[in-house]
Amino acid sequence: MSLARTRPGRFVARVLAISWKEILHIQRDPRTLALALVMPVVMLLLFGYGVSFDVDHVPLAVSDQDRTEASRRLALAFTEIGEFSPVGGGDADRADTLFRRHATRAILVIPDGYGKDLARGGPARAELLLDAADPVTANQVLTKADAIALAEGRRAAGAAGLHASPPLQVKVSTRYNPEARSAVYIVPGLAAYLMAITAVLLTALTVAGEWERGSMEQLFASPVSRLEIVLGKLLPYLGIGLVQLLLILGVGTNVFDVPILGSPLLVILAGLLFLAGMLGQGLFISVVARNQLVATQAGALSSLLPSLLLSGMLVPIDNMPVPLQVLSRVIPARYLVDALRQILLKGNGFASVRGDLLAMLIFAVAIVALATRRFRRRIA
Amino acid sequence: MSPGWSIEAEGLTRRFGDFVAVDDVSFQVEKGEVFGYLGANGAGKSTTIRMLIALLAPSSGRALVAGHDVATAPEAVRSAIGYMSQKFSLYLDLPVRENLRFFGGAYGLWGTGLARRAEEVLELTGLRDQADEITGSLPGGMRQRLALGSAVLHRPSIVFLDEPTAGVDPEARRSFWRLIRDLARGGTTVFVTTHYLDEAEYCRRIGLMVDGRLVALDTPAALKRTWVPDRVLLVRGRNLAGGAEALRAQDGVRAVEPFGAGLHVRVAPERWTADQVGRALAGRGGEGVAVEESEPTLEDVFLAVVGRGQPGTEAAP
Repeated sequence: MSLARTRPGRFVARVLAISWKEILHIQRDPRTLALALVMPVVMLLLFGYGVSFDVDHVPLAVSDQDRTEASRRLALAFTEIGEFSPVGGGDADRADTLFRRHATRAILVIPDGYGKDLARGGPARAELLLDAADPVTANQVLTKADAIALAEGRRAAGAAGLHASPPLQVKVSTRYNPEARSAVYIVPGLAAYLMAITAVLLTALTVAGEWERGSMEQLFASPVSRLEIVLGKLLPYLGIGLVQLLLILGVGTNVFDVPILGSPLLVILAGLLFLAGMLGQGLFISVVARNQLVATQAGALSSLLPSLLLSGMLVPIDNMPVPLQVLSRVIPARYLVDALRQILLKGNGFASVRGDLLAMLIFAVAIVALATRRFRRRIA
Repeated sequence: MSPGWSIEAEGLTRRFGDFVAVDDVSFQVEKGEVFGYLGANGAGKSTTIRMLIALLAPSSGRALVAGHDVATAPEAVRSAIGYMSQKFSLYLDLPVRENLRFFGGAYGLWGTGLARRAEEVLELTGLRDQADEITGSLPGGMRQRLALGSAVLHRPSIVFLDEPTAGVDPEARRSFWRLIRDLARGGTTVFVTTHYLDEAEYCRRIGLMVDGRLVALDTPAALKRTWVPDRVLLVRGRNLAGGAEALRAQDGVRAVEPFGAGLHVRVAPERWTADQVGRALAGRGGEGVAVEESEPTLEDVFLAVVGRGQPGTEAAP
């Protein structure tokens, strides 16, 4: 009988036996696998195409240096249809202060001479300063402003009896995501969100299932160690998570032109570290819960909410209240989202994401250690 | 540890708070013996097993299993034994063969050796034709044989079976016990708990647990001699009621109970023979009386043990 002879040999044999069994379980349950692999694509398409973060009544401060009939009409055009709400006078020099105090989201600056230029048939210039800390919202504000400016330009041109090109131009510049496309912005966040949910839920379910079935007792009566069970269980799900990440990136780059400016290997490294932490979290939940129902609920809550709300995926971390900003520091999704944005969108290298990688590594090691400790061999 | 013992328990005790689940239990099991561990639910059978397989630490006392102390060398104990838990705990969604391979892998078996051994166990358990079927689709008896197969895949010197035949039909139980006897003939020590008293007859020796204490331990025949010294008689015939009434009042008659259409009579062997009982009943209007001597069953032993707590004495009325 061929018993693996050395200690490391037996270790590997046992870990692989558990992993192989886990793969068979996954094969037997193709729905779970399909869900894990189809969900990312569907979500990405939804977010990329369909879901819009519709905004209206955007706070708008007006700095009217022209003080003419035409300048007042322009300001009115922005506010009268409800897309923007006036919040009083603003001043371009104080823009930073106003934005930081959240006193306004946008400042319309109408320079001296606007009315005269417009009457002459243009080009008349007005400036819109935009708080783009949340580019999704900024993107929409920009679109609205464009439309209003266009309409107002046409109206002014018609009134002057001219039919030239629209005389009014609004110029805005943003950086890193020049077109402020939400797909580009959402892909890193979505990667974190989907990998977190799948990894936490699948591991929580598989380990809680062993307790419920009674097979955990059977395993404990064998020479298999806690670490071997943990590693054997995690490996296959690490693989699924990685496939998810590649799917998300694949759809992101091919359908939504998300750039991969940095190193793909670095992306995978960040993904693996993140996954290890999420799998550990699922393991920890199932070790504590020991039944599938509780594990599912705790798993969903602990992965979905933080990765959606505290990762900076939808709400920029800088815009959060201070207690939430502090809380977000222990959410691995925050570091993955930051790392992915740095690598994908800015093309930054290892040095700039070192901190993110380290934070995820610490979380992963801590949570797996905690779960393994709580994993009581003796059942009573 | 003397070389002949496979399991040796000495003053083994387990408390859960104030409750003493296993109370000062001592026994030895020989190599290659089929050792039955009997008792009602909650008598402490499973708790004893869990201590012996190093899943549960004893509160006090000591146990050596395959020569290893369960408290200080749990890993060595686990490698030496096989365990089949009370709850069927194989993976129902996997094929039969994959269950065997997985448990072989968990014990460190590997490669072609593992594959060959899995085929051997399929043969041994009579599951070759079901090897590729999903475990969940098998009837109860086959599942139990598969669970036993998984427990002996790594050729342990001792196998612990906790209520292995609970909820299995009689025919399947018989074939399961054939398997147990085959294992024991091959030199494996079998430690089996059950509450089916008919099964316990297959064991070489039996330990009887009552409320956490081991109150009797011997071969089935010796237990019957010690605990049920009465002569047990089965009586058939018609019009037995009057005779039964009179018989019950006689000296040396321990019990007269209706049994089917006849009577179940227990008498002191030194005072009554079968013929004497037959004549007594015929003399009181019994017709066509036939008396047959029968062996006391382990059920009689069990009732005697639970009821009296002392061998060979009459229960208080």
